[in-house]
Amino acid sequence: MKLEETASAAPVPASVGVTPRAGRVPITVWIAMVFVLVAVVCAVFGPQIAPYRANRQDLLLGTVPPGGDHLAGTDLLGRDVLSRTIVGARTALVGPTIVAVGAFAIATILGLLSGYLGGVIDSAVMRWVDFMFALPGPLIAIVIVGVAGGGFWTAVVVLVVLFTAPDTRIVRSAVLEQRPLPYIEAARTLGISKGRIMFLHVLPNILPIVAAYVVLDFAFALVSLAGLSFLGLGVSPGTADWGRMLFENRTILFTNPLAALLPAAAIVVTAGSINIIGDWIYQRISIR
Amino acid sequence: MSAHGTATATPLLELRRLRIWSGWGETRRAITTGTDLMLGPGETVGIVGESGSGKSLTARAIVRLLPQGVSADGSVRYCGRELMGLAEREMHRLRGRDLSLMFQDPFTMLNPLLRCGEHIAEMLADGDARVPRDRVREETLRRLAEVGIDDPLVARRYPFQLSGGMRQRVALASALARDPKLLIADEPSTALDVTTQAEILELLRSVQRARGMGLILITHDLRVAFTTCDRVYVLYAGSLLEVGDAASLEREPLHPYTLGLLLSEPSVEQKLGELSPIPGAVPAPDQVADRCAFAPRCRWVQDVCRASRPDLVEVGPGHLSACVRLPEIRAEMTELRDSVLHRAAEVTPVEGERLAVVEGLVKRFELGRRRHVDALKGVSLKIGPRECVGLVGESGSGKTTLGRCLVGLETPTDGRIEIDNIDASDYTRASKAERARLRRTVQMIFQDPYSTLNPRHTVGRTLSEALQRAGVIGRRAIEEMMAELLHLVGLPRAYARRRPASLSGGERQRVAIARALAVQPKLLVCDEPVSALDVSVQAQILNLFRTLQQELGLSYLFITHDLAVVRQVADRIYVLLEGEIVESGPADEILSQPKHPYTRRLMESVPGAASRTG
Repeated sequence: MKLEETASAAPVPASVGVTPRAGRVPITVWIAMVFVLVAVVCAVFGPQIAPYRANRQDLLLGTVPPGGDHLAGTDLLGRDVLSRTIVGARTALVGPTIVAVGAFAIATILGLLSGYLGGVIDSAVMRWVDFMFALPGPLIAIVIVGVAGGGFWTAVVVLVVLFTAPDTRIVRSAVLEQRPLPYIEAARTLGISKGRIMFLHVLPNILPIVAAYVVLDFAFALVSLAGLSFLGLGVSPGTADWGRMLFENRTILFTNPLAALLPAAAIVVTAGSINIIGDWIYQRISIR
Repeated sequence: MSAHGTATATPLLELRRLRIWSGWGETRRAITTGTDLMLGPGETVGIVGESGSGKSLTARAIVRLLPQGVSADGSVRYCGRELMGLAEREMHRLRGRDLSLMFQDPFTMLNPLLRCGEHIAEMLADGDARVPRDRVREETLRRLAEVGIDDPLVARRYPFQLSGGMRQRVALASALARDPKLLIADEPSTALDVTTQAEILELLRSVQRARGMGLILITHDLRVAFTTCDRVYVLYAGSLLEVGDAASLEREPLHPYTLGLLLSEPSVEQKLGELSPIPGAVPAPDQVADRCAFAPRCRWVQDVCRASRPDLVEVGPGHLSACVRLPEIRAEMTELRDSVLHRAAEVTPVEGERLAVVEGLVKRFELGRRRHVDALKGVSLKIGPRECVGLVGESGSGKTTLGRCLVGLETPTDGRIEIDNIDASDYTRASKAERARLRRTVQMIFQDPYSTLNPRHTVGRTLSEALQRAGVIGRRAIEEMMAELLHLVGLPRAYARRRPASLSGGERQRVAIARALAVQPKLLVCDEPVSALDVSVQAQILNLFRTLQQELGLSYLFITHDLAVVRQVADRIYVLLEGEIVESGPADEILSQPKHPYTRRLMESVPGAASRTG
């Protein structure tokens, strides 16, 4: 029995005890995080950072292109575009945060009740969701906000209600996936109460999904709110807001392109970064 | 290479130092550490190993279909031709035509959108040559007939319309469509019922013989390998520990691991006094790369075993073993084997009192308008105190439904359940106090150890929640009880801080048992509690069930498809077929002299049973 030339040619590598490293944070996520951090800092300290007051008008100056005193130029009323973009981060982040968290708080409760308890509650919740799905969402938002006389908070509330319906479906289907698993059934045979099972057993296990969708919702709400502002339905006129700036400054696109493009870029970059981070969080949580 | 037995001049397949790695660069870890294998034309070899042994990846490495992040080196020679360096295009041409692969799961292996005939026709067509449609059809039917499907209508059915066994036949027909010279079957019968399993193995054997093709059978079950293969390779934690003719290996296993596997396997013929499990669990291959892979669990281990990795050495004609201490311990091994196999347990029948009574139980599942399935059609059974009752049946027999009715997870349509003198027919209608008492009398152990625990809760949290339900108050009291529970199921106290993800399958099942025991139940309904575990671990858990029965005076309803398992634990047996009990009585009586034809068929289907009784 002459087996191989004694296996010294390629000795087994000394990989004993090597544990797989927790995945390194990819560079795209780092970049996204930096962008989001910048946006958050602007939202919190906007007025302190901005080179000018956001609403300081200089009618005599009028529209100037980027350069000189005004790094990103000024708009029709001679307001500094860079300052307005920085200050505008506040409405851009606060609104979507409320929409995403609010919609999912409601959706989590509805989805848990409807998915875990089933029966009449499930039918009621699901018919309501079907009804909401039948409505043309953006149109309804425009109509309601328009009729109610606009305003930032009206827009936020309408979006919360609109977002709740699809989110409820997501949570419910995640609950339905957990429900027949033995660990839930074991809890039932131990006689643990339904509330405890729902919130202490099911909820922690669907949190990764919820977290990922909260982030997705945030990005979507950011774009929706900006859209409403663009239509003149969100924030009140004069407020520094990315969507609103895009609307107001589209006429001076050729005199000072940055007046419209800077807020537009802010919307895209922030929404995109949030999405990238959301995906990454989801992957990390769901591995465990 | 004469040591490899019957293989002649040019082997059909030859593996030399085949190593499989996961990951790249620094984080690269060995999955198998150098496998040598030889397969002559028309020969059948088995690769036997528990989960994590690397047996499936070895099969995939041969056809070069490794999952992402897994790589292989070494030599794979097919008819003298090296496959490792072959261009992907060449390799692609070999697959299916020369080398064919068949997988375990008949439910995902076939494309659900293709009719069964199309699966085979697709393989027959083979790209270039245009064959007239009726010729293809004819050939398809002939191929189906080869795998024992005579009904031409099957070709027009979709996979979901067929049973698991039928699907596995269709899969086999399509794997054979291009007349491969070598078929690799990866656990082809594991997902099937016992009777179907026996049929598929017999089919594989007969097809292999008729075609004279080479067959590599990958299985976790030594008995299956012994009855099907000419030669058996025993793989453990990525290294070959023993190679030999099936017959000589079965007669005298010459590696402590193979012996351990054989001894830990429950026997159908007789109830053993105590099963001999292999302690511990399978290590990661790279943790044992520099020593005998089995050393951490071997009862004969000495320093020499840990000094270096032992090579396979010829110990008999065509029989290789990697045990360095074999000459010293051979006599002891034989002695151990004889003593264990002849250590029958005394059977103590219990009569009289009753803990649980089920009478005329009917469970009907509505599937929509005017369509329904009767899972249980009037089942009656009794469970006495301190008695272990086995409920045996194949999938679809309604055995799980019965268990779920007992613990209140399903509400029966008709019939009566009485547990500890409480009416338990409908948990939702029982009074609150009665329900609470029922919950503390009956508990359930589930099959799948991987989802039986809440993945987000630590073991301690899971147990303390159960203890609180049992009315234990105060942190100190709970902690004391928790330590006691963990000790009872044979786990160290420190496990309370662990999460399920860091536990092995057997350990999870122990925690699940501890959770059930927290409320001090009198009856445990165990639904296939060991069928998802490796054989060596399975024996540990079965022993635990026995110990607990003696120490705590528990009763069990032991639901299983595995006759060998039920023989080891059950005092009495009920055989369930399509929702009806067809035979019942003391375990020994039923398994030694089955009266009902169905029970007899079940017994005959157990791999190796016939050969051993003969």
